[in-house]
Amino acid sequence: MNPMIGKELQQRMRERRGWILPSVYLLVLGGVVAFAYFLARENRTDVQGSSLGVTIFTTVVFAQLSLLLILAPVFSSGAITLEREQRTLPSLLTTLLSPLQIWWGKFAASTLFVLLLLFVALPVLSVSFAFGGVGPREVFMATLNTLIALTTVSLIGLFWSSVFRRSVYATAVSYASVIGLAVVTAIIFFILIAQKGSDNWNEIAVWKKLAIYFNPYALVIFGFAPTKLLYPEWVRSVCCFAGISLLCAWLTVRNLRNGDDNS
Amino acid sequence: MTHIIEVDSLIKNYDGSRGLDGFSLQVPEGAIFGLVGPNGAGKSTLIKTLATLLKPTSGSARIAGFDVREDTAEVRSATGYMPDQPGVYQEMRIREFLNFFAAAFRLSRHERDQAVQQALDFSGLADRAEAFVEELSFGMKQRLVLSKTLLHEPRVLLLDEPATGLDPMARIELRQQLKALNAAGVTILISSHILSDLEDICTHIALIAEGRNAVDANGHSILHLQGAVPVSEPYEISVVSDPAAAETLLRSLNGTHFLERNGTVIRVEIAGGPSEAARILTALVAAGTQISLFQPSGGLEERYRAVFSRRHA
Repeated sequence: MNPMIGKELQQRMRERRGWILPSVYLLVLGGVVAFAYFLARENRTDVQGSSLGVTIFTTVVFAQLSLLLILAPVFSSGAITLEREQRTLPSLLTTLLSPLQIWWGKFAASTLFVLLLLFVALPVLSVSFAFGGVGPREVFMATLNTLIALTTVSLIGLFWSSVFRRSVYATAVSYASVIGLAVVTAIIFFILIAQKGSDNWNEIAVWKKLAIYFNPYALVIFGFAPTKLLYPEWVRSVCCFAGISLLCAWLTVRNLRNGDDNS
Repeated sequence: MTHIIEVDSLIKNYDGSRGLDGFSLQVPEGAIFGLVGPNGAGKSTLIKTLATLLKPTSGSARIAGFDVREDTAEVRSATGYMPDQPGVYQEMRIREFLNFFAAAFRLSRHERDQAVQQALDFSGLADRAEAFVEELSFGMKQRLVLSKTLLHEPRVLLLDEPATGLDPMARIELRQQLKALNAAGVTILISSHILSDLEDICTHIALIAEGRNAVDANGHSILHLQGAVPVSEPYEISVVSDPAAAETLLRSLNGTHFLERNGTVIRVEIAGGPSEAARILTALVAAGTQISLFQPSGGLEERYRAVFSRRHA
């Protein structure tokens, strides 16, 4: 096993945030479920069963995605800058670990932590099963797409971490990138379709939809389409996220390979 | 003589500046080689380049026959690098810290256990192996990092200012450790501003300034501190009267190199050891010079001053 993964996980779980963040995260998600339930019951007295389940599920999925988009950069954007700040990077780079192994260790540890958060939230997400209207496929697709989006965000954070010397800058730019993906892409999309807009999604030109393919919320929404309709929108969106991920991974490994030259 | 480190016309450019400007060096196997020069001379750049952390712009550098640019894995296997500000993972236990680096050097589990125990013994931290690194004092952390660099039994140690921030006792211990390692066959390249430490342990000193080889008054860029090679040593001579005549005489004598005259105090370098110094003294006395003091005027510190104050001037 890559020693970086063991070391990273050990360090993360020993930090106070290693148990505080999952606890707060679960509390917030639990609160969101309760809020969604009472809001649905409050607004419509006739809300029953499946429709209540769908409301709770959708609310939890997007709340979870929002929370994790906030948390993911915390785990990744300091991964390499912290090595610089505590002056351990030169020692690390002069071992027999390749830059790829160092990157993989950092990436796996930050993604495994996000996976842990997704995993512990599954029971909360499954509350909606009790009301019907939501099946395992929806839960699976929501979890898969959340994971894809968060993997990309983690890789973006790692990339910025390999660029900057200080964690504070890497974290700030990582959050700016998350805002870019989650908010700016949506704004661009809505501005573009507002011009000579059409109500029919299929009539919108692909280039006008390009920005929204990079939006994590849109990725999750595209994933709820029936299996036969996953192509083209969901597939295109996944490809866009994969493209960003690969680019960030390559640039991060390249920066590590340059050693002290870029620090 | 086998040279375990061979640096030839090494150039390292940074954005807009030059860290190394054609520096050359040959370090014999088994030496403790000191690297001295003022701040910004290129010492850290050279050590980082040898440690494969920086890629040279041009020139070549080889360690144990391996090119630092092409054979990075082999060079890393052959070297142990200790940076000028060695970092540690504060929240790891001492044994975990050593275990991690042993694994990072791809030691098998059996080799790892052995290497970690040796490192614990070497650093004197065996009885605190389960303590967290953050509990250690600065000096102990330094010892831990040094022992970490030895886990994979490197043939060459590259130490960048290892004594910085250490108290006198810790410095003495560090010198003893380095001597012990050298006696065990490890070649050491060490940069430091603490010249007395270098004088105590080094067999050779390389002079570096502005990224190039600096030379002393005799044109030497390498000073031999120990061994059979005849050394040139600075002497301080105080004359009672007519220092100008004494200066003229000293300038004319073979085996002396005039350095400076400050009032009645003259400083020269005398090559050839005590017998040559005695010959110079006899010549001065025979010429009627009245001398109140004639003594070696310090060692490396004086030679450093002679080389680098001239450059400043």
